[in-house]
Amino acid sequence: MRCTDLFLVSLFMFMYVANGDESTDRAIMHERHRALLKTNCVSCHGPEKQKGKFRVDDLPFTITTVEAAEKWQKVLNAMNSGEMPPEDEKQPTNVAKTDLLDDLSNAMVAARRTLSDQNGVITMRRLNRREYKNTLRELLGVEINVAELPSDTGTGGFDTAGQNLFMSANQLEQYQSLGLQALEEAFTRSAVADEERKTANKKPKTPELVKFGIGDNRQVGSVTAKGVSKVRFECETANEKVSRFVEQQNDDRARANAWVKAVNDAAAKPENLAVATELRKTAKNENEFRREWMKISKEPSQSSFGNFKNDATGGFVDLANRALSANWQKYHEYYLSRPHLDQGAYLATPTLHPQWMALGFLQLPVPGEWTSGNYVFRVRLAATKEARPEQKFLEIGMHPRNGMVRATFEITGTMDKPQIVEMPFTLTKAITDSGDRTLFIREKGAWDNNDEGGRKRQEAVKRNGIGPEAVLWIDYMEIERVSDPAGSAPGLAALGIPLDNTSAVTEIKPALQRFCAAAFRGMEPPASFVAKLGALYDTQRKGGAKHSVALKETLSVVLASPMFLYLAEPAADGKRRALTGIELANRLSYFLWSAPPDDTLLALGKSGALLKADVLMQQTTRLLDDERAQDFVHGFVHQWLGMDRIDFFQVNRSMYPRFDDSTKLNAKKEVFATFAHLLQHNAPLSDLLKADYVIVNHLLADFYGIEGVKGDAFQKVSLPPNSPRGGLLGMATIHFMGGNGEHTSPVERGVWVLRKLLNNPPPPAPANVPQIARLAGKVLTTRERLQMHQQDAQCASCHRKIDPIGFGLENFDAVGQWRTEDTYQVKDDKGKPVKGASKTWKIETNSAFYKGPAFKDYFELRNLIAARSDDFARGFSTALIEYGIGRSTGFRDDPLITEMLVAAKKEKLGLRGFIQALVASKEFHTK
Amino acid sequence: MKTRRHFLQSSAAIIALPAFESLGFRSFASTAAPATPPKRLIFLGFGWGITDTTWYPDITKPGAEYAMTTGLKPLERHKKDFSVVQGLWNKYSNEGHWGSTMWLSGANRYAQPGQSFHNSISADQVAAAQLGLKTRFASLQFNSSEKSDASGHGPGLSMAWDVSGKPIGGQNGPVAAFHRLFVKDTTPLSQQQALLIQRRSVLDAVLDNAKSLQRGLAKNDNAKLEEYLQGIRDIETRLTKEQQWMAVPRPPAPIKEPGATALGNGREEIELIYDIMIAAMQTDSTRVMTFRQPVASLLTSLDIKVHPHDMSHYHTTLGEKLDASQRRDIAQSELLAGFLDKLKATKEADGSSLFDNIALAYGSNIRTGHELSNCPTILTGRAAGIKLGHNIVTPKDTPLCNAWLTLLHGIGVNAPSHGDSTGIINELRA
Repeated sequence: MRCTDLFLVSLFMFMYVANGDESTDRAIMHERHRALLKTNCVSCHGPEKQKGKFRVDDLPFTITTVEAAEKWQKVLNAMNSGEMPPEDEKQPTNVAKTDLLDDLSNAMVAARRTLSDQNGVITMRRLNRREYKNTLRELLGVEINVAELPSDTGTGGFDTAGQNLFMSANQLEQYQSLGLQALEEAFTRSAVADEERKTANKKPKTPELVKFGIGDNRQVGSVTAKGVSKVRFECETANEKVSRFVEQQNDDRARANAWVKAVNDAAAKPENLAVATELRKTAKNENEFRREWMKISKEPSQSSFGNFKNDATGGFVDLANRALSANWQKYHEYYLSRPHLDQGAYLATPTLHPQWMALGFLQLPVPGEWTSGNYVFRVRLAATKEARPEQKFLEIGMHPRNGMVRATFEITGTMDKPQIVEMPFTLTKAITDSGDRTLFIREKGAWDNNDEGGRKRQEAVKRNGIGPEAVLWIDYMEIERVSDPAGSAPGLAALGIPLDNTSAVTEIKPALQRFCAAAFRGMEPPASFVAKLGALYDTQRKGGAKHSVALKETLSVVLASPMFLYLAEPAADGKRRALTGIELANRLSYFLWSAPPDDTLLALGKSGALLKADVLMQQTTRLLDDERAQDFVHGFVHQWLGMDRIDFFQVNRSMYPRFDDSTKLNAKKEVFATFAHLLQHNAPLSDLLKADYVIVNHLLADFYGIEGVKGDAFQKVSLPPNSPRGGLLGMATIHFMGGNGEHTSPVERGVWVLRKLLNNPPPPAPANVPQIARLAGKVLTTRERLQMHQQDAQCASCHRKIDPIGFGLENFDAVGQWRTEDTYQVKDDKGKPVKGASKTWKIETNSAFYKGPAFKDYFELRNLIAARSDDFARGFSTALIEYGIGRSTGFRDDPLITEMLVAAKKEKLGLRGFIQALVASKEFHTK
Repeated sequence: MKTRRHFLQSSAAIIALPAFESLGFRSFASTAAPATPPKRLIFLGFGWGITDTTWYPDITKPGAEYAMTTGLKPLERHKKDFSVVQGLWNKYSNEGHWGSTMWLSGANRYAQPGQSFHNSISADQVAAAQLGLKTRFASLQFNSSEKSDASGHGPGLSMAWDVSGKPIGGQNGPVAAFHRLFVKDTTPLSQQQALLIQRRSVLDAVLDNAKSLQRGLAKNDNAKLEEYLQGIRDIETRLTKEQQWMAVPRPPAPIKEPGATALGNGREEIELIYDIMIAAMQTDSTRVMTFRQPVASLLTSLDIKVHPHDMSHYHTTLGEKLDASQRRDIAQSELLAGFLDKLKATKEADGSSLFDNIALAYGSNIRTGHELSNCPTILTGRAAGIKLGHNIVTPKDTPLCNAWLTLLHGIGVNAPSHGDSTGIINELRA
């Protein structure tokens, strides 16, 4: 009875929620669960008994405090772990329990969201890692590697949320040292540019001198270049090393055979017979027998037959033995039989250790005399007639041994008409300091790793008895220096004093003042700060430091100071106020460029003109049209769609040989390219759900089986009506992320769709749910396994919503290729396949949304998702707000989201409509 | 030329002058060679937990006579010298992928209204505040060289969190760790002193800038800038310490400098960091250390191709995931056993061993999968008076922080409480 009384009281208190199911978006537990608590919990956790000092009868059904949230969390945890209700007590029905867990976990998400909400207040934000890098670039004209700075993500939310951007002593010091690095780089660049200007019209004093050091492995090990701005390596020069290597192999073999004969002769001598017989008994083969040659008397050493040049791993004794084996000599001879060796070299397959012979790639180091700067790398090449379509791509990377591919190029050149591939690149001091300055080229996917490369090589040997065909012919590789465009370092220009030590600088403070002004993005540098900087410079000068050293050191302090590192918007407590023009300029440019405002934008901010709606829109358009908007595309999309998962695992290449490094790289680029396309053309956001076109290049089109696409540039390609491609769900990367590189995960995919496309994120994976081991070792389809796992209430509460969507996407394999069958192989506890315990099944995609419409296949599922473009647009708007103004969103932002949606709808959901609506909103203008 | 003492007196050092009673080996790093070896505290954390069916001893058979499990088998030779503690957890932990973030703090991520992430001081830093006064480094945090968190540690820059619950950075990988400890500054003393003055002027300048910026900031923003100001204060403290130690030469490294080739090989990295920890103790460079161990690169070094997160979810398929998980357990136990061998073999000045003078906790906030109860915990070392050689079963859901508090008290750091602790655990005491 008592319980009932309490029940009535609380019912009265929360009557206003009694109708309407709002439990999913408010921190409110639905009243229907009170019965379960009453029946199954209150007898031990109520007014009479409080086992574990815990009561559930007085739990508030509207969660408004951290304390209440903790209590409910405890209920959720205890039920999820199966601890409550205790096994020997009365159990709720599975359905009631599932529903309660479902609502409670969602209520907890809502509670956490409400409780961590800041009432719309935007916390002052530190430049994140990307912005810091870009801000240095805009100020000093150089890009530095900021990877050593701690990552800005991990605690949830975007890397623009001031609340989650921390600062520490270490980091503070890192900012100064990275700033110094950028300054060093900028000073060097500036000196080089000066030098180039001076010598532009003069003949070099020293005669042009280019020298290539070619190693016996056919690779260019060093390049010296004085007084020239271009080096070209004619690749045929390298072939001589291959022919010499084959001669050496023949010679080695002949001498090794002579040694074998000598050993055998010695062993046959009567006085050695006993020893030899004994040795042969224990030796597995003749090689092993010969290893013991020293035990046979009067036997000549292998070294008396000369030096053997190979990569014998067994040490000295195996040198001659090793020379007897094949050592890929047939392949080397095949290489030498290729046509046009007098004018070029081939990219083939690695045979021996690259120290001895490296046929898999060709490398060209940047000449040692050349420092940081901009360069172009060119390769003149052709694919021979035998080249298969997938071989007609060239990979370029830095550091041949362990470097990843940086770019991939389509090869259209033929032996009659070779082509030139060009890749601009920048060399920074940090790169040259680490010695990483060697460019390499390779056939796409030929040798991404040893497992995969070895497998391919073996396949070819099986096919032709020799090895992979060498089909990419390289005429030459060259590197050319490109002059720096003048005035690319506004910070240095602002200084207005010489940077080198040639002339005396008497008055430093005005220069420092100007630099600070340029660095602080419109904020006035405090006089006291400039004075302290001046003193810092003077002290160093007095201590004997040269001008340029003292200057760089002093300027690095500016780059570690709060006015540089933070985007501050002063405001009185609790008072919201409109942003000033300068603040708005900063907010806009960091939103759309992840970089500081340029002169134009800052001037409009300073004059206040930017506060006018039409000017602001013009500027928004201008910023979006600028190249720098790519930083928005990458920064936003990568985080919005959770793309960090791409780097969490490796693809199993023996299962998916076609998903090589180049394909993976380009598949990732597709996502950005597609979003950039929408942005550029103000195309509808809903194209990301379903579209009759894709944005791909030749390489990716091949992967998707789309014909007729040429070139490395991503381009709009129309799709036939029955294509599964088009929109995010047609992209390989999205499906790759929804698996583990080996198998698909309908759960990962379902969660992703709910989170990113349908704006209905499931609660995070709960802690302490008992793991299900009863299904292990059973021969089940993926679907059967997941459905059986839903028999547990703790699992079903979320998975009944998640899994069906994933089932609908099962036609995409772990790398996003279309498939109709799947296989499961049971493995034993040593990870070895169990014989007979495997199953192959035809994929069934028919399923239904939880309490929603059914679909029979992927295409119907896609249509159902596409029909929910409003949900998608709301989720997108939420993400855009969080990214753009740097705070999490709360329920109070619903009107803003609606506003954005309404505005965008006027433009057929055009992507720019969302951005413009956000920029025009009051929130965007308010501190 | 001014003497070192003179310089220090004249520069108003905040921290008391080190006294050099002895010029023994130890004086390279710590202020004085203690008559009895100092007590040290070490935390070793691995992200993704363990295989719970084959790692834990039988929970129903507490005591010294427990049967060794396959996961712990490599530790058998040390059975008398460590205890497995069962039943511990951090009650506020809800993040199934955060094996280290709150392991040593027991914090509630959501404790602060208006914030979506909150942490509090980690146990090692509580110890460092007291034990760190006498050594060159108040504490040292080691990480692996892994670039992203595929090892299940969760947010953080190391295992350590400072007094305001902000992340503390660490040395990423053995090469950086070795450098921090042993690479000598060859700059002449006078120049070092000038440099120190210059660094103070730098702090002075940025402080001035911060104060200008601070004017007019709202409360929330001020709290953010406070992190910056705390950073300045921390560097200030560090500079004072550097000043204090400037004339004291770096100790000669008792071990060889690790090569960069080890980087990325998880197994080698763990071994090397263990060696560096021993070297750090031999030279008394610090008395408090944490190590956020690599799991992802440990797997690759064992030639295991299963993704580390997948491995921790072996339950529904077993097979290669379970195999990977168990091989990981064994490798980790082997590494720990090797570490214990060396700790026992390394002698102190008074004839005792390092093992006698450390308190070491080894574990993770994650048991397995997303399970955050009965966190795997091994306690070892004789410094804290912990009962060794037992399978200790505490009441279910005892706060991990109670164990940390017991360790802290055991080594003489008498904090009244830590995190969500409710007291010390008597069962843990010898």
